[in-house]
Amino acid sequence: MAGRVLRILPARQSTRIVWGASLGFSLLLLSLPWLVRLDGHPHANWQQFLGRFHPLVVHLPVGLLILVPLLEVAGAVRPALRETAGFVLAVAFAGCVVALALGFVLAYGSGTAGMGVTRHLWGGVVLTIVVLLCLLARPEWESHGARIAYPTFLVLMLVALVWTTHQGGSLTHGSNYLTQYMPAGMKRVLAVGSAPPSTSFYAKHIHLILDSNCASCHGEGQAKGGLRMDSYESLMRGGQDGPVIVAGSAAKSVLFQRITLPADQKHFMPAEGRPPLQSEQIRWIQAWIDQGASPTLTSLAGVTIREDLPEAPIEPVGDYSALIPEIRKKDAGQGAKLRQVSSRPSDGLILFTVDAASTFDDAQLAQFQKFAPYIVEAELGRTALTDASFDTLQQFTHLRALHLEETKITGTGLPKLAPLSHLTYLNLSGTQVTAASAASLNAFRSLRHVYLYNTPAEPAPAVPRVQTPAPAATGAPQPKEKSAQ
Amino acid sequence: MKQHPLCTDTEHVTKVLDLAIPACVKQEWADLQTRRHFLGRAGKVLGWAAAASLLGDRRLRGDNYPAAGAPAADSLNFPNFAPKAKRAIYLFMSGGPSQVDLWDYKPNLAAQFDKDLPDSVRGSQQLTGMTTGQARFPIAPSHWAFKPYGQSGTWVSDLMPNMGRIVDDLTIIKSTNTEAINHEPAIMLMNTGNMNAGKPCLGAWLAYGLGSMNDNLPTFMVLQTKLNTDENNQPVSSRLWSSGFLSSEYAGVGLRSSGDLVLYLTDPNGVDREVRRKMLDAVNEINRQTYEELGDPETNSRIAQYEMAYRMQSSVPELADLSKEPQSTWDLYGPDAKEAGTFAYNCLMARRLAERGVRFTQVYKRGWDMHDNVTKVLPIICRETDRGCYALITDLKQRGMLDDTLVIWAGEFGRTVYSQGGLTQVNYGRDHHPRCYTTWMAGGGVRPGITYGETDDFSYNVVRDPVTVRDFNATILHCLGIDHNKLTYLFQGLDQKLTGPVPASVVSGLLA
Repeated sequence: MAGRVLRILPARQSTRIVWGASLGFSLLLLSLPWLVRLDGHPHANWQQFLGRFHPLVVHLPVGLLILVPLLEVAGAVRPALRETAGFVLAVAFAGCVVALALGFVLAYGSGTAGMGVTRHLWGGVVLTIVVLLCLLARPEWESHGARIAYPTFLVLMLVALVWTTHQGGSLTHGSNYLTQYMPAGMKRVLAVGSAPPSTSFYAKHIHLILDSNCASCHGEGQAKGGLRMDSYESLMRGGQDGPVIVAGSAAKSVLFQRITLPADQKHFMPAEGRPPLQSEQIRWIQAWIDQGASPTLTSLAGVTIREDLPEAPIEPVGDYSALIPEIRKKDAGQGAKLRQVSSRPSDGLILFTVDAASTFDDAQLAQFQKFAPYIVEAELGRTALTDASFDTLQQFTHLRALHLEETKITGTGLPKLAPLSHLTYLNLSGTQVTAASAASLNAFRSLRHVYLYNTPAEPAPAVPRVQTPAPAATGAPQPKEKSAQ
Repeated sequence: MKQHPLCTDTEHVTKVLDLAIPACVKQEWADLQTRRHFLGRAGKVLGWAAAASLLGDRRLRGDNYPAAGAPAADSLNFPNFAPKAKRAIYLFMSGGPSQVDLWDYKPNLAAQFDKDLPDSVRGSQQLTGMTTGQARFPIAPSHWAFKPYGQSGTWVSDLMPNMGRIVDDLTIIKSTNTEAINHEPAIMLMNTGNMNAGKPCLGAWLAYGLGSMNDNLPTFMVLQTKLNTDENNQPVSSRLWSSGFLSSEYAGVGLRSSGDLVLYLTDPNGVDREVRRKMLDAVNEINRQTYEELGDPETNSRIAQYEMAYRMQSSVPELADLSKEPQSTWDLYGPDAKEAGTFAYNCLMARRLAERGVRFTQVYKRGWDMHDNVTKVLPIICRETDRGCYALITDLKQRGMLDDTLVIWAGEFGRTVYSQGGLTQVNYGRDHHPRCYTTWMAGGGVRPGITYGETDDFSYNVVRDPVTVRDFNATILHCLGIDHNKLTYLFQGLDQKLTGPVPASVVSGLLA
């Protein structure tokens, strides 16, 4: 790279001085990590105070540096923009220097060390030097001298920028921040999160807790106190002051002691005002350590964990504001009523019929057809509805919960509801629904809770129903739970 | 002075100047009634009137009272977000159930029988007048054994075998704590968020915010359990289901615990529905005139309540008719449920009210106040309540109602681990204890099968995840879709709210 620099080196005396100074500055930056060693011990408070402005300052040059190539490209069409690029580049360079200085003070002052910090630091140094090169090569390029050097430096700058900022982001948010909620299929394609799928309690729970709460300081990026918690081996190895886990005794384990201190204590973890672990997470960690801190054990005595039921996300209903006057009028009168689920209209409407009860029949339900796409819950229990009502109900396309308890329906129309893709709750208690017609519910994709209490279908469903192994102490009560297939 | 328009006494109109007021004040008043004074005031009045008409009729009237029958808080503002629960049933255990003997299992205490409670545990806490003079505070371990139940392995006292069976449906809070140590302030605080009487209770706030789901029954109903004279009963009265400064339409409506649920429900002989209707129309018309004359919003509440009473004449008999309940109901709730006014009966009634769209039902059970003779009285009250609570949860669950009904079980405080009065091998007493007590919730919005919060080895202080009464109430409102900071009512110059002025927070660890 030095050769290329020299080839575009202009012969004038004043620019020679500039080049000399730049070379000296670059060498200084490159040797910085040796001049002031990051020893992993915290230093003066004022350094940390100052250093914490790094994240604030750093975004200015990042933004400007992205702007520079844009201005140069756009400048081909509008020359005025190209004139700006030089100024922006200069400001960006100044920003780089300040951000680099603050970042170094932060790392030195807070005693952070680790691969991530080192990478981020080197990224910053290289980036600053490349920006300086851009700055130097630009005048020549503008006067149509060296045509290749400046664009090359710009590309190098962008690469260095992306890499460095990603390292920085991983330091603050943790290295799995971007990939944590990546769709599983995409993860497989990209082969991220290569930890082997494991069913052990450690892999399923403990590792996740530590990874999301601790690993941003005790992980690949930083290893404060010499401790890394991003893998089982490094966790058990402990930090510079010895192991943090004593298998079999949570009380003797430093890790457990530190997370259970009062939150205002100096040694409390997670430190620096990060949210404390939830009490049940602490309970799991305690049980896991007490029962041997094993990497392979799949379940622990006394700990049951509710598997998350995949809740269908609530899909907003369409705009019904034109119908609101009519809804309010119905609300004020006697009989069936429509109410908004919440103050957000897009949450949809609930149909209440308790006032009309025994007089509410299929014909009355049909009058609600125009509201059909906006109704997410229909409370039709104890009404005079019959199986004919399913012709209307199948138009309630956003229906999530349907109450038909104690009605005269027999269930022959139930298959008509199969296209209702949001329906998760169906209450048929106290109806004449038979096992045969209830069997059609197995084809319903989204249905989670079906209630058949006090029906002919209750005692023994004729068709074997797919039962999920009852998740430990599941959330909603679901005597007749049906799995999503 | 203005007389009531229905008053027929026109001869004895008192004049203000006839009242016993110092002569100098009367003179000053007379002096003020000058033409300049009149014109000055009239000018201001006209200005305000103009401003009022410009700003709309609500802004300057200085009241927030709605017209009769209209939803109080704008029905489009509540719930603030899609709620998990549409209604709630609150089983209120008045007197202060002993967490030490029921839920908060402390196996280590057995070894400490009759040892003194360490001063470091009690700290500087002020005690009630009943035990503050005691020479010593001997530890009284629970007389009963505990067993782990369910998949969650929660320890429950042998006094409540049925509760053990549904422990995986419960969200048990061991760290509830209150600021009050005596019944009256504590029970007011639990119900209204304030130790002083006069504030609206939880049910009234819900009725005000969420409105009714059923026009034919009150939005908020209260069921009292018949007294059992073996127990030490603390008074419970309508101050606990009062609407405070909210319109009295939102106050709880109590059903009677014996005889007819509501008195005079049937029309007297010779009065048919039509005559009754005509009479009500006439009364309403007179009330309406009174309202126009005086503008007291309580007149509108009265109109609304006459109408509600009229509709309840047909809805309550249907509610009270248990003949259509299947045999499985009686098998579940037990024989007590056949007798009106028992706790089991009230639990069944609470389910029926929930089915009929009543927003909030509060069941009061008194008798948990056990200053002595715990080993005799506690089994009695547990026998009364254990089955009812179990049956209610199980019944709601099998009928698919637990998904959108929140059930709450709580008293006003807990009881001390040390014995009040003499401690023997077979008996002890327990004083009031505000620093920690156990409550539970179940159903819509809360996370089942967990125990939240922890107490120290003596069940005396909360050591993890404290839940204050404010937080408790904020969490209940949250389950019903209400942001506790948004459910407010302007009164005495303040935006009043259930959780009061001290910051409260929803306990996210309890939520599903």
